[in-house]
Amino acid sequence: MTLLRAYLTGLRHGWFVLGYTLCVCLTLLITAPFLMITLRSVGKGWFGRLWLPPQLTWEWYRWAIEVGNIPEVMKNTLIIGAIAVIVSTIIGIFAGWAFGRRQMPGKELVMAVILLPRMIPPITYALGVAKIFYTLELVDTHLGVALAHVSVCAPYAILVLSATFEGLDERVLEAASVCGANTIKRFFYVVLPLIMPGILASMIFSFTHSYNEFTLTLLTYGPNTVTLPVRTYLAVGDGYWEITSAMAVIMVVPSLVILAIIQRRAKPEKLVGGFKGV
Amino acid sequence: MVDAMIEFRDVSKRYGTLVANDHLSLSIRRGELMTLLGPSGCGKTTALRCLTGMNHPDEGRIFLDGKDVTDVPTHQRELGMVFQNFALFPHMTVADNVGFPLMIRNLPKEERTKLVTEALRLVRLEGYAAHYPRQLSGGQQQRVGLARALVYHPKVLLLDEPLSNLDAKLREEMRFEIKEVVTRLEITAMYVTHDQAEALALSDRVAIMNRGRLQQLGTPEEIYESPNSRFVAEFIGLSNFLDGRVSGVRGATMTVAASGLAIQTPVLPGVTSGQKVLLFLRPNEIELLPAGATSDANIFPAKVEKTTYLGDTIDYRLVFGEGADLRVQTDARHRYAAGEAVRVRLPRVRSWVVAD
Repeated sequence: MTLLRAYLTGLRHGWFVLGYTLCVCLTLLITAPFLMITLRSVGKGWFGRLWLPPQLTWEWYRWAIEVGNIPEVMKNTLIIGAIAVIVSTIIGIFAGWAFGRRQMPGKELVMAVILLPRMIPPITYALGVAKIFYTLELVDTHLGVALAHVSVCAPYAILVLSATFEGLDERVLEAASVCGANTIKRFFYVVLPLIMPGILASMIFSFTHSYNEFTLTLLTYGPNTVTLPVRTYLAVGDGYWEITSAMAVIMVVPSLVILAIIQRRAKPEKLVGGFKGV
Repeated sequence: MVDAMIEFRDVSKRYGTLVANDHLSLSIRRGELMTLLGPSGCGKTTALRCLTGMNHPDEGRIFLDGKDVTDVPTHQRELGMVFQNFALFPHMTVADNVGFPLMIRNLPKEERTKLVTEALRLVRLEGYAAHYPRQLSGGQQQRVGLARALVYHPKVLLLDEPLSNLDAKLREEMRFEIKEVVTRLEITAMYVTHDQAEALALSDRVAIMNRGRLQQLGTPEEIYESPNSRFVAEFIGLSNFLDGRVSGVRGATMTVAASGLAIQTPVLPGVTSGQKVLLFLRPNEIELLPAGATSDANIFPAKVEKTTYLGDTIDYRLVFGEGADLRVQTDARHRYAAGEAVRVRLPRVRSWVVAD
């Protein structure tokens, strides 16, 4: 009996060790490329079979900023991101209200269509977008690129916000009416504060998707609307790996900041569900 | 009625083919606490929603303080309401919840603070102003709901099953608390519930609803002592029913043949021999006597089938006459065992004429 228990404990222990090891391996697998890029962006004369760069330098960052025109590119990325966030969230609030609060005919079908751009290969979808945008002369405008991004950002905003609206307690709204609040006051004093976590979540999702979006940008950008992912990709073509690495590291920084905000401030369940009327 | 604070005048509301309110007419006097009582689906909630303006009646008008409010939107009706699930604003503190109706009405800050403090004192929650609803117990949350409903001195207070989400002991406490507050403020109140004990304990008058109609309206005593139908008798308190036929009328009493027994009961107006009636007996109004007791009018032999000890009372299931069931509740002074032969005395029998 004791032997069996010891065996079982050992087995459990064994599984635990195995699981732990796998987790460490996965962590390494995920972090290794980051490490690689970071080292490369500060390494000088790192050729051949050397394990570590012989010399460290900030030079590549200066090159990236000056030659790669990163400030301008960052500005483009943020403008496009901001437009995409605002448009997606506004769409998300109205569509989320409709999905979450009302019985809508053909709700499943609409949902499926909305999610389509994420399901089919991005390049297929992007080609269609490009063709339309050339016709409408939206190519190489901040609004145009942002609208292309909205097609993938808005579905996330809608999903998040319809869950938020579903979690909104009807009777709390009725209570506000009985207390004397008209529709507008009810929206600003009760509905808006209660869906705020959902709106923030939708904004964060939309921004990261716009910020990281590559395929759609590649087919709709122009000289005035180069974004960070596209600029980095173009630098790869130029063949300067050190400068490209520096750009890649610069690009990662805002993502890490957002990740930190999410981890610190917001509980995921709070972001999606909104408040329940406890 | 001149002094009606709330009046439903011939109100009908249908959902598709379902008739939720069927020509409901009801008026609640100024300062009165009236309960709308009935099983789920009886239309009491629909009536309430018509009054708050969340539903619009298909027919009929609704008056508040003599003014037709049928087409007035909810937020302009000046109502105070307590909800079953409390419906507090989860993102606001207790003080902000209670102060919400005042903020909406743009009252100056000092006056708001004064009224909120007053309302919180009324429900004995002075120390909780800065708490959030989720930090409070169910009973405390409902007291916040009550304070929010009363803070701006509304014309009427509506209570929609306010105690259903609380546990039994708390429910009883809150019942008295609500009654006390409403009495002290002399506010007109409409209380919707399916709990007959709540209705009897709280109300000045009870309106019993059934299938969208008003079944009976009266004080708790009237409803309990003289229910006008089997539905009301069954809904309020425990009851025994016996089918019978009138076999003779003599002065103020009539004799009813039921289950092979001749039962004496006060005569019903206009009743004739041979008419079908339904006898109604409250289990606590029947006396149990030992088998050897003297024979007299309305004393019949019976047999104990089953006894259940309930602490303060004992619940007996008896069989008497030609196999009719009878439920009796007596105090625990003298106990009879299952299988024992006893006699029952029926001092008080009520009856209704039933269509043949």
